[in-house]
Amino acid sequence: MKRRTFLQTTALACAASIALLSPALAENAKLKIGFVGVTSGPAAAWGISNQRSMEARAAWLNELGGVKIGETTYDVEIVPFDDQKDPKRAIAGMEKMAQDSIHYVVGPNVDDGAAAVRPVAEQNGIMYFPYAFPKELYTPPASNAILGMVANYQSGPAIYKYLMENKGVKKVAFVAGNESDPLSQRDSGSAAAKALGLEVVSDSVTYQMDTTDFTPVLLPVIQSAPDLLVLSGVSPANAPQLIRSARELGFTGLISTETAQDAAVLAEGAGELANGFISVGGASTPELASDTMKEFVDRYTKMFGEYNDESNTKVYALEYIVETLKANPAAIDNVDEFKKTMDTFEAPNPFMVGDAKLTYVGTTSFGQKRQVSVPLVVNEYKDGKFETLFVAQVD
Amino acid sequence: MEQILANGLYLGAQYALIALGLTLIFSLMNVLNFAHGQMYVFGGFVTYTLVAQLGLPFIVGLIASAVVLAVMGALIEKFLFRPVIRRSKRDESTMLLAAGIAFFLDAVILLLFGEKQRGVPKIVGGVFNWDMRLIMPYDRILIGFLAISLIVGFILFMQYSRTGRAMRALAQDRVAAQLMGVDVDRYSMIGFALGAMLAGLVGGLLVTITGINLGMGGPTSVKAFMMIMIGGAGVISGAIAGGFILGMMESIGLTLLAAYGDVTYLVIFASLMVFLAIRPQGLMGKPWG
Amino acid sequence: MTPSRLLGVGAFLLGVFVLVPLLIVLTGRWDFYYTLTSVALLSVGAAGVWLTFYIGRINIGQGAYALVGGYVSAILVTQAGFSFWATLPMAGLFSAAVSVAIGLPILRLRGVYFAMVTLVLTEVARLTALALPVTNGAKGITSIPLPGELSIFGLTVIPDFASLGNPKLAFYLMAAVLMVLTYLVLWRIVNSRLGHLCRSLQQNEELSASIGVNTAMLRVLAYAISSFFGGLAGAMFVAISQSIYPSSFVVTDSVNFMLYCFLGGLGYVFGPMLGTLLLYFGWDLLSVAREYQLLIYSGAMIALMLVLPNGVLSLLEKKGGGK
Repeated sequence: MKRRTFLQTTALACAASIALLSPALAENAKLKIGFVGVTSGPAAAWGISNQRSMEARAAWLNELGGVKIGETTYDVEIVPFDDQKDPKRAIAGMEKMAQDSIHYVVGPNVDDGAAAVRPVAEQNGIMYFPYAFPKELYTPPASNAILGMVANYQSGPAIYKYLMENKGVKKVAFVAGNESDPLSQRDSGSAAAKALGLEVVSDSVTYQMDTTDFTPVLLPVIQSAPDLLVLSGVSPANAPQLIRSARELGFTGLISTETAQDAAVLAEGAGELANGFISVGGASTPELASDTMKEFVDRYTKMFGEYNDESNTKVYALEYIVETLKANPAAIDNVDEFKKTMDTFEAPNPFMVGDAKLTYVGTTSFGQKRQVSVPLVVNEYKDGKFETLFVAQVD
Repeated sequence: MEQILANGLYLGAQYALIALGLTLIFSLMNVLNFAHGQMYVFGGFVTYTLVAQLGLPFIVGLIASAVVLAVMGALIEKFLFRPVIRRSKRDESTMLLAAGIAFFLDAVILLLFGEKQRGVPKIVGGVFNWDMRLIMPYDRILIGFLAISLIVGFILFMQYSRTGRAMRALAQDRVAAQLMGVDVDRYSMIGFALGAMLAGLVGGLLVTITGINLGMGGPTSVKAFMMIMIGGAGVISGAIAGGFILGMMESIGLTLLAAYGDVTYLVIFASLMVFLAIRPQGLMGKPWG
Repeated sequence: MTPSRLLGVGAFLLGVFVLVPLLIVLTGRWDFYYTLTSVALLSVGAAGVWLTFYIGRINIGQGAYALVGGYVSAILVTQAGFSFWATLPMAGLFSAAVSVAIGLPILRLRGVYFAMVTLVLTEVARLTALALPVTNGAKGITSIPLPGELSIFGLTVIPDFASLGNPKLAFYLMAAVLMVLTYLVLWRIVNSRLGHLCRSLQQNEELSASIGVNTAMLRVLAYAISSFFGGLAGAMFVAISQSIYPSSFVVTDSVNFMLYCFLGGLGYVFGPMLGTLLLYFGWDLLSVAREYQLLIYSGAMIALMLVLPNGVLSLLEKKGGGK
C-alpha cells in the first residue's frame, strides 16, 4: 500500500516537474541496471535488502529528474532477477541481463553464483558487482567483477588488531556455518588471526545452516575459553541466536563478525544480550551518516515499510555505477571504457559526512582496482542501535 | 556431560513435537507433507505478529497459531489433497501437490511477514545454573516442559478420545475402518487439521527462543522426515523416539566431534543411512511403510 | 516403428535442432539458449529419476549424482589434464559405480523410506564435497577451461569451444543431442524385456521375484543407469558455468528433478522432459511478475495438480492415446 501511494506521488511529482520546467522535453531515456541475486527462500534477506536499496535510490534519482550522463538525461530502471541462490539460475539471470543489453549488474550474493556467472559476463561485456569474497573473481585475468563491499580478509585483521590493542584480546575462537561462504571466511579469518599473533583456540566447529538451537554447537567452543568469539560469515538470521546461546552458556568475552547485520533483528532475537556485539556496517551510525544517507533511510522506509541495516553497505554499488558513467559517458555501453575510468575515478561520497571519496581500490588484495571503496565502519551494537567503534580504509 | 544430555533432551522435545504432526498426517493419508515446515513457520509468524507487534499476551498468540493452522490444515485437506488423492493413479503424486503448497506458503509468508528474522522477546528471564555443570535458561526449561506436556496430551488424546481412536483405526487399516463405520473423510480432515495445528503450536512455542524466518520451512520439513524415518513412518511412538534420538545425536555428536568440525553432520547423516539400510522400517515402523 | 511415430520423432528432432535456433535468430532472444540448454540437461537428470520411478522407487537423490559427476569432470580436467569430452562418459560411469555401492543396501528400502534416504544422500554428497581435500572444499573449483576440440583420426568432430564465436549455440546443440540420446535409450529400455521386468517390479516385487526375476540385480541396474544420467547432466553444467561448488547441486535440485517427473506424468517416457520444460522455463518467464513470481508459480503448480493429478501428459489419454 505504502509503496503504491509512494509511487503515485513520485509519478505525480515527476509529471508536475516535467510539465512545469520543460513542456517540450520528452520522457527521459532509460538507463537499465541489473540485479541478479536471491530474493526468495532461506537467504532472501540478503538479496531483498540489496534490491530494495537499489530501487529506493533509483526512484529518488528519477524524482530529481534523472541522471545526466554526457548530453543525455536518463531515468534509472532496476531490472531484478531472482536466482534462488542457485548458481545455475544465476547464469540464466546474467543471460537475461545480456539480452536486455544491460552492461552493469549488481550481484550475485554468494560465492558459487558469482563464479558461475563469470563466463557469461565476460562474453557479453557486463561489469558485475558481487557480494562474494573469492579472490579469483577480482584478480587478473578476471576483470569484469568488482567487489561491492569490504571483504572479510580485509576487515577481519583490522578488527582483530583493534581488539588486541584496545580490549586485550589474546585467544580467539571461530564458528561458521558449513557452507562455502562462511567456511572460506572462517579459514581466512583464522589465518589472519594467527598472523597477528593471536592464539586460535577453536576453529573447527561448524553448524548446519538450518540449526534452530545453537547451544550444543557452541558448548565446545565456549569450553575452549576464548576472549573473542568470531561468527564467520554469519547470516543475519543466525546471529541473534548464536549470541543468545553463547551468553546463556555464560560466555562473557567479546563476540564479533565481519558481515553486515540488522539492529532490529538483533534487538528482537537477542535483546540486551546482544550489547557489545561487533559487526561491520556502512555509514549509518549518526556520527557518520550525511543528510543524504538519512534521507535515503527515510525514503527506503516509506517505500518498503521497514529499513534494513544491511542496506547501509549495499547502497553503494549503484552510486558507483552511475557516478563512473557520469565521469565517462562513453562507458554507457562499453565496459572497456568503464575499466579505463576506474583507475582514475574519484567523486565525493554523498552518504558520509566530511570529505570521504568514492574511488576504486583493491590493488593490495587483487593486484588491480576491482573493489569499491566503502568506509570500513566497525560497529558495536548497543540497546537497539549501532554505535561506531572505529573507521578504517581499505586500499 | 549433564549439559550435553540436557541440551539433547530439550532439542529432542522440540523435534519430537514437530515430527508428531507430520507422522500423524502420513499415517492417516499416506501423504508426505512437504509443507509441514512452512506450516511451522507460519505458526511462528502468527504468534510473532500478535505478541511482538500487537502486544497481546503470549498465550493468546499461541492459541491463535493453533487455530489459524488448524483451519488452514482442514481447508488444505478438503480442497486440495482429497480431490487429488481420489483421482491420481499413484499415491506419490501428492508429493508434487505438497511441494506446490510448500512453495505457495513460502511466497505468502514472504509477502505477509517480510524477509527478516523475527523473534519475540524472552517470556521469562534468568538462567538456571547448577554449579556451571548444567546451565539452562528458564525460558528453555519452560518451553521444553510445555513441549513435553503437549506430547503427553497428544498421546492421551489419541489413546482415549473417540476421535483419537477413530484416527488410529484409520491409520491401521483404512478399508476396515470404513467398513466399521468410521467416516473416513471427516477423520482425515480432522487428522490433517490436528497435524497442522501441532506444527503451528511448535512454531508459536519456538519463536520465543529461536525466532523465525521464512527460510526455516524447507529444512525443518527435511529434519522432521529424518526423525520419522528413524522411529518408523506413521507410528506415533516412533516419531517421538526419532525426535529424541536425533536431538541426542546432534548434541553428543557436536561435542564429541567438535575437533573434526566439518565432518560432524556428515557422520550423523551417514550413520543415519547405514542405520536405515540395516533396519529399513526404522525402530518401530511397519515394514515397507 | 509405425509411420506416424516416425513422423512424430522427425518433427521433434526438427523442432529441437532447426526450429528452436531459427526462432531464436528471428526473435533475437539469445538468452533462451541457456534456458533451453538447462532444460535439456535437467531433463537428462530427470530421465534418470523417472527410471527409478519406473521400478517403483521415489528418488530424491539425483542431485547427489549430478554433483559427483560434476566434480569428477572438474577434477579430471583441472588436475589430470583430461579433455572434457573424455571426462563426460567417465563422470557418468563414476556416478553409476557410486550408485551401485550405495544402491545395493538402500534399494531394499521402499516407499517413503527409500525417498528419505535418497534425500539424506544429497546432503551427504554436499558435506563430503566440503570435507574432501580433492574437491578443494568450500572454495570450490573455478576457472575450469571450456571444452576443447574433439577429433577422431585427425578429423574435427567438435571444435574448440573457446574459439567459437557463439558457445551458447554450441552448448545448446550439445545438450540437445545428449537429451535426444538419453530419451532414445530410455524409450528403448521401456520397450524392451528389461522394461517389462521393471514394470513387474513396480506392480508387485514379491510376485516378480517368485516367478524368477532377479529383482535385486534389476533394481541396481536401473538405479545405476539413472545415476549415469545424473552424472552426465552434472558434468555438462560444470562445463557451462566453468566452476563447481559443493552447493552446485543441493536438496532443492533433487526435489526439483522429482517434481519434473510428477508434473510431466509418471506413466510417460517423455513426461520428465515436458515437466522440466514447463517448470524450469515457466519460472524464467514469470520473472516479470517480480515479487509475485513464486506466488504465481506455486499457484499454477497446485492448480495443474488439481486438474491433472496424473501429470500433463495424461491429457493424451483422454483422447484415447496412451503409452
